[in-house]
Amino acid sequence: MSDLRPSLTYTEAELVQGLKARDEKVFSYVYDHYSPALYGVALKVVNDENTAVDVLQEIFLKIWRGIERYDVDKGRLFTWMLNIARNTAIDTLRSRAHKLGQKMQEIGNGHQQQEQLIVQQSVDHLGLSKVLDQLNKEQRTIIDLAYYRGCTQEEIAKLLDMPLGTVKTRMRNAIIQLRNILKQV
Amino acid sequence: MDVQRYISSGIIESYVVGLVSEREAREVENAIAEFPEIRAAVEACRQDMELYVELSAVKPPKAIRTRILDAIENETQPEGEQLLPEELRRPDAAGEEEEKVFKMPALNINAAQTWLYVAIGALLLLLVSVICNFYYAGQYKTYLQKSTELLASEETLTQQTKVYQARQQALEKELSLLKDPALKWTRLSGSGKHTGQLAAIAWNTQSKEVYLLALSLPEPAADQQYQLWAVVNGKPVDAGVFEMGQQQHALQKMKEISAAQVFIITLEKKGGNTSPALDQVFLAGKANS
Repeated sequence: MSDLRPSLTYTEAELVQGLKARDEKVFSYVYDHYSPALYGVALKVVNDENTAVDVLQEIFLKIWRGIERYDVDKGRLFTWMLNIARNTAIDTLRSRAHKLGQKMQEIGNGHQQQEQLIVQQSVDHLGLSKVLDQLNKEQRTIIDLAYYRGCTQEEIAKLLDMPLGTVKTRMRNAIIQLRNILKQV
Repeated sequence: MDVQRYISSGIIESYVVGLVSEREAREVENAIAEFPEIRAAVEACRQDMELYVELSAVKPPKAIRTRILDAIENETQPEGEQLLPEELRRPDAAGEEEEKVFKMPALNINAAQTWLYVAIGALLLLLVSVICNFYYAGQYKTYLQKSTELLASEETLTQQTKVYQARQQALEKELSLLKDPALKWTRLSGSGKHTGQLAAIAWNTQSKEVYLLALSLPEPAADQQYQLWAVVNGKPVDAGVFEMGQQQHALQKMKEISAAQVFIITLEKKGGNTSPALDQVFLAGKANS
């Protein structure tokens, strides 16, 4: 996993500087080191290789174009890139679900809600890591629904059939459990 | 603010996974700025999430690397620009909560198809336009020809009208002359080999005007003309030459004559003579006065 982080070749500050200077060498370095993680996010969100490839391209163009807006005070470069990846992928999924929903609505009302549920439920079929088997199903689902699906608190409460007020504490518990597992790796 | 309680409330984890509302996110960001413990907690949680995300890392297909690097290289060109989503100009973090509609790269294929349809449509329109051009050009030629024909026929009609007007005026004048009681009519007839030849003279003895009507005279040779004479006491006075042909049946105005006992018509050379060729007297008549 550590090879996904910037290697000793460049410090994070140097990467940011290189990207801001429109250095294509730095960009290809960033691509080589971060694309697997970002592609993984895209793939988990859209659950389709062809779409994920398009999303990945959009992610990197946003990184290249948007580097001027990266604020070092708000977080690390990787955090910033993950946010771009996540938002881009979720927006793609939403616009797709929206289009699909519109089509469904043309056929008959009431199908949109069903369609949304199908998209959200498909999270269960995403690839699982052995390590993550130690998270219980609810913990993994609550993290994935929030992070990869961009679900709201209300949606998670409804989908996982839990009181709205407990979503945040369940989320905290899930991440603490995640932390404990990751410490063992 | 109870920092520990805040940290253990779950708001930080919810913030990191993007579960909180825009308002809550601003609250957390204010807390991060204010409390280093909270900042550290957020950062720790982020690192956990990032490790979790890296567990799902997948090496993307090799081809996409070239595609993206090409797009970067050509970003200043229109093709590169086209690959970019419209809202790229917005800071990504700020747009987190906003509803965004992305133009997916896959749409470029649709865009190309759209352009293809547009091009086909444009070509069809052009074709229709060309056909219409030929059709209307043909019609234009036809109408132009018709218009020219109509203009010509109108010209002819105008001229004919003028001819008729002139003729009518002449006729009206003749009619008025004929009705004039001051006119004295003299009938000139031929004798011998000129028997049957006729002319009529209308003489206004007050105004001295003389009109001639060549009723029946043979057409003279091209170099000859008939001439009218008024004879007073055996002395002929020239009353002018007159036309034959079309003018034969019209009243022709002759020279004014103040006195005449006899009118004679002789055949002279074209333009007339100062004295009549007496062997060429065709018609004669005693003047009524």
